[in-house]
Amino acid sequence: MRTLTNVLWRLWLPVLLVVLWWFASANSTNLFVPPLSRILGVMGRDFTNGVLLQAMSSSLSNLALGLLIASVVGVALGLILGETKRLRLILDPYIHFVRSVPQSALVPLIIGIFGLGSASKIYAVALACVWPILLNTIDGSLGVEVGVRRVSRVFGIPRMLYYRRVVLPGAMPQVIAGIRVALPIGIVVMVVSELFASNVGLGFYILHSSSTFRIPETWSGALLVGVIGYVLVIGFSLIDRQILAWYHKSGAR
Amino acid sequence: MSNTESVPGGTLTRVSEDSLLRVTDLSLGYGEGADEKRIIENLSLTVGNGEFVSIVGPSGVGKTTLLKGLSGLLKPKAGQVVVGGGALEGPHRDVAVVFQDYSRSLMPWMTTRENIAFPLQGRGQKKPLRNKAADEALDAVGLGGQGNKYPWEMSGGMQQRVAIARALAYNAKVLLMDEPFASVDAQTRFDLEDLVIDLREKLGVTIMLVTHDVDEAIYLADRVIVIAEKPATVVDVIETGFGTHRDQVATKADPRFQDARGRILTRLRK
Amino acid sequence: MATTTTTPMAFSGRPSVNWTLTFQRVITLVVILLLWQFALMSGLLPKITPGVPDIVTSIFTVVTMGNFWVGFGYTLFAALAGWLLSCAIGVVLGLLIGTVRPLDRSAALIVEFGRAFPTIALMPVMMLVLGATTNMKITMVVLAAVWPVLVQSILGSRRLDPGIVSTATVFQIPKGLWFRKVLLPSALPFIATGVRISASIAILAAVGVEVLTQVPGLGRLITLAQEAERWDNALAYLFFAGIFGWLVASLLGRAEGRLLRWNRQSDD
Ligand SMILES: Nc1ncnc2c1ncn2[C@@H]1O[C@H](COP(=O)(O)OP(=O)(O)OP(=O)(O)O)[C@@H](O)[C@H]1O
Ligand SMILES: [Mg+2]
Repeated sequence: MRTLTNVLWRLWLPVLLVVLWWFASANSTNLFVPPLSRILGVMGRDFTNGVLLQAMSSSLSNLALGLLIASVVGVALGLILGETKRLRLILDPYIHFVRSVPQSALVPLIIGIFGLGSASKIYAVALACVWPILLNTIDGSLGVEVGVRRVSRVFGIPRMLYYRRVVLPGAMPQVIAGIRVALPIGIVVMVVSELFASNVGLGFYILHSSSTFRIPETWSGALLVGVIGYVLVIGFSLIDRQILAWYHKSGAR
Repeated sequence: MSNTESVPGGTLTRVSEDSLLRVTDLSLGYGEGADEKRIIENLSLTVGNGEFVSIVGPSGVGKTTLLKGLSGLLKPKAGQVVVGGGALEGPHRDVAVVFQDYSRSLMPWMTTRENIAFPLQGRGQKKPLRNKAADEALDAVGLGGQGNKYPWEMSGGMQQRVAIARALAYNAKVLLMDEPFASVDAQTRFDLEDLVIDLREKLGVTIMLVTHDVDEAIYLADRVIVIAEKPATVVDVIETGFGTHRDQVATKADPRFQDARGRILTRLRK
Repeated sequence: MATTTTTPMAFSGRPSVNWTLTFQRVITLVVILLLWQFALMSGLLPKITPGVPDIVTSIFTVVTMGNFWVGFGYTLFAALAGWLLSCAIGVVLGLLIGTVRPLDRSAALIVEFGRAFPTIALMPVMMLVLGATTNMKITMVVLAAVWPVLVQSILGSRRLDPGIVSTATVFQIPKGLWFRKVLLPSALPFIATGVRISASIAILAAVGVEVLTQVPGLGRLITLAQEAERWDNALAYLFFAGIFGWLVASLLGRAEGRLLRWNRQSDD
């Protein structure tokens, strides 16, 4: 009973807004603001004929690859910088500067260099996502207990083993937090780079439909990207909670 | 104000005409309906104008709850609280409170002066006026010239002085204090106790202080009200009859002090 | 490059200049630039990549050009206007939502959705509805930048201490004053974080809109330079975009430290 009222409390306003949108736009004569029913209808059609699925798979695989590269590079560099104080101090201002560059400004350059294909999208995502992961990994590795560190030194644990079994597990929660911060940035950069220039993907779907004045398609693409972004972020934080819960229970720290 | 001296033994039912705070059959608790939990049941008491009343009771008995009821923070389940002739509906202009936990009642983003002047600002007082009142209150609690400091730059004892100053500046008729000296060291505690006695003598405010410390209750008050049991109610009332002036050594050696102490401790042990 | 002394998250808290470190940093920069140049000459980098001397020259010529400053002004204006609007809307709404329970429950899903929604996806739609205008740019900035402030304000207002609430109630603090002098300052440490994040998002969104549309600004200049194959200029603009982002982040970090002195003190 209590959970039911709770769910109702949380749902009524969003539902009301969607319903309002539905009816307010039902008889819309504004060419640029089509009825919600049409937008959803178009979305359903393009889902069944596979257009959207194909676009999604291309966009999402670019995103995943970019994020993967960013994670590998960010974690590796982060562990090294976290363990070498001098290097960290030297590079600190540069890292902060590069991180401050608005990622969207990089998109034209990367596409200019790497062309229209998937590679440029993957690099753009990777380049934008690497910074939060890097900085968080540094933080995480700095958080590894001095005692643990010293013990490893005393027992002469080899360098690679030390990174793999001591620092990385210790820094894991922070690494995951970094990826969680990076994910929405990656989605934004993915969208921007596809909207900038592309011939596949969700951005292309949106861009192409708007340039050919198929307005409902433009709306449905934009909404779909938004919903996918939302689902990814929420999904990741759920997984994240699972991983971390397991992690803390296992006593890996 | 000095009527306490004229009624040495005292009776339980005095101060009817000039009673400032009258509590009749008060019941307080938390939760509603099936979840309701009564903390205080059928409690009655009166506090005369200018009187200093201590309420003493064991930890967790409901002292803070009682003060919440008296300050209008908690609605009575039954009975009523009358302040200066009118039934209490909520927080009242004539009631100021010094809370148990000073560090959580002073706002860390305000200087001490701003903290003290804040309630006056709420009342619409102009800045020069309220700052002057704040500085006077600071002087009165022995913190003259410290108005620009932040609470977190001060010791616990000083912070509690600021809280007292804020209540004084509010210029209420009744000052409610909830274990105001519980979280400071012994020496600071004695200093603060004497400060309160001093303020009371000089300014003639009516004070009701709640504490679990029996010695403190007796030392400060004209009358000690003992509350106990679950739900809590008044189990004993003792007139101390020390007058307005006290001394940490002499008063505590007074046979009346010892008698009252013995009586309350026995009462609480039951 | 400018910074050797303080950075927003300097790992060492020493204010005095450490000359050895500065020297090492400069050396590192020189080495990086030399590597760049070397990679270019040996063909490791694409041919179109400009050399270090070209970029440095461009950086200096670009600052003397009017259109750079005009573009920068457009970006600054849109980011600033959108950011200020976001802060105002986010703080007021957030404090309301955070303190009114029914509102909190009703709005929770919308806030969660809005925060995770990649706003830039709406740009093509906004283009259709509002056109390639400054208003559209500011709207986009607000839609992107309002969420961190909103979320942080909600979190901040939830942490109001019950002791302080009682105090304000007992002393009969009126609603307006309570909002300004109790709720707002108490939530300020959280709000400040939101405001800081929101500033970088505002810049990101403004530049993003410029990159994608004909709306003038720094992002547009970068796109134009890229289309004209003036890579040296494009990198120079990028450099200034970075300086801008970095300056804003450090300034806000510093302002936060000063404004919230009480918070750091009372935390321990
Ligand atoms: N907000 C609340 N909701 C429910 N129960 C409460 C609440 N506040 C206090 N209580 C309960 O009321 C009882 C009395 O609490 P109260 O704080 O009034 O005691 P106290 O005499 O002031 O104790 P102390 O000497 O420790 O300050 C306790 O059992 C406590 O658990
Ligand atoms: Mg208490």
